[in-house]
Amino acid sequence: MTVDTAAPQILTRTRPRSPIVGAEPFFVELDRFQGPLDLLLHLIRAQDIDIFDIPIARITKQFLGAINEGLDDMQLERAGEFLEMAASLVRIKAQLLLPRPDRLDWEEDPRAELVRRLLEYEHFQDVVHVLQRAEAQRGRHFGKGFIEPRPMSVASRDALQLTLAELLEAAVRIPEPPPPIRVRPPSLVVTVEEKVSLIQRLFEKAKRISFKRLFGPWGTRAHATAALLAVLEMAKQQAVRIEQAAPFAPIWLFSRGPDGADGSDGDQS
Amino acid sequence: MTPEQIVEATLFASQTPLTAAEIARADGELSTGAVRQAIATLREAYENEGRAFQIYELGDGFQVLTRPEFAPYLERFDSVPRAPYLSAAALETLAIVVYRQPIGRIEIEEVRGVSASSVLRTLVDWELIEVVGRGEGLGRPLLYGTTTRFLDHFGMKELAELPPPEELPVVLAELQEAFDLGAAGETSTADDAVGVE
Repeated sequence: MTVDTAAPQILTRTRPRSPIVGAEPFFVELDRFQGPLDLLLHLIRAQDIDIFDIPIARITKQFLGAINEGLDDMQLERAGEFLEMAASLVRIKAQLLLPRPDRLDWEEDPRAELVRRLLEYEHFQDVVHVLQRAEAQRGRHFGKGFIEPRPMSVASRDALQLTLAELLEAAVRIPEPPPPIRVRPPSLVVTVEEKVSLIQRLFEKAKRISFKRLFGPWGTRAHATAALLAVLEMAKQQAVRIEQAAPFAPIWLFSRGPDGADGSDGDQS
Repeated sequence: MTPEQIVEATLFASQTPLTAAEIARADGELSTGAVRQAIATLREAYENEGRAFQIYELGDGFQVLTRPEFAPYLERFDSVPRAPYLSAAALETLAIVVYRQPIGRIEIEEVRGVSASSVLRTLVDWELIEVVGRGEGLGRPLLYGTTTRFLDHFGMKELAELPPPEELPVVLAELQEAFDLGAAGETSTADDAVGVE
């Protein structure tokens, strides 16, 4: 079978046209560039400049012109990256102006480090193209589950084949729901209020009472529950202080005055 | 049941690449060697029968995928969202990681000339790269390397499929040539490159 879209998308995905419009001055859409190296490399390649003999003065001027426009809208970090490169360019330019021996080793050329970085960056741009190509090709292979499964609904989307009378007739046939079964929980035979007044009465005779005494004589769960709720309620109202020396040790209740003080400054627990 | 049938059933039922060892779990008598043998037989059969799919090798796994020439037909359907094409920043970072791994954030930023922390985080989230160790330098920086999912995303069996750095210009020139030919209406010559010998 012949292939409809033989052309890989990768090469068309790179910059479709030069973002540099006209020769000078330069209008550059900074957003299109990954960073200062990308911009610099573009300035050099778009003008067919020999990368080993970069006219630093010209390139610096173009670079500054390019970032001048976009700098205001840029995020601080991104702007900093471009400004750092601008500073290096100006530094290189200054170094080139210094008097120097006639024959200069390449290593001593102030531009050497920049050229090395540009070439390295350009090398990785090549890798990017290879990866883009591979990504586009992989995107043309599909595995199971690529086509979205149909929604689970099995209901037919056809118009309802039913008259209103038939529908109402069917509705009438639906049996009445059985009356709900009402269950009344057995009322608590012991009330919390009862226990509160018991505590208050006991405090009239003693400053300290045992928690167990509040329900012990009755020995039923209902009494214990009511006693516990009563004590907690009173503790919440600061009317009683609870003490227990250790887990499972006897619990003691102390009366507290109306102002919340009981004369002792022991920890509450 | 033949080993080929068992392997075929297993691959058919899977939505993700399966390693030979994973496929071998389907049957107690199936060795990984037998799985590989069966896959080779199946591949040949699919090829001879003109099937619309083939078994591809992605990372250390195998998966049944459609052949690339059917992409235009399948793309007409509503599809389950797939991994999107990566951004330029993500590709740039991956390009550096894949050739320089293990590599730390600072070294990546030196090459790119821009900050890489957020793009690294994204790539880790997408499981295209992972932390593979810590460097010796100050603060013992995290070092990153590519993952099996990276191989899957770019349709590779192994990293060795990437051209060696010194051959890149040649490879790119060939790609450009293929592209020019393709644009001129020729049939593509390189559309079956996904993990296939």
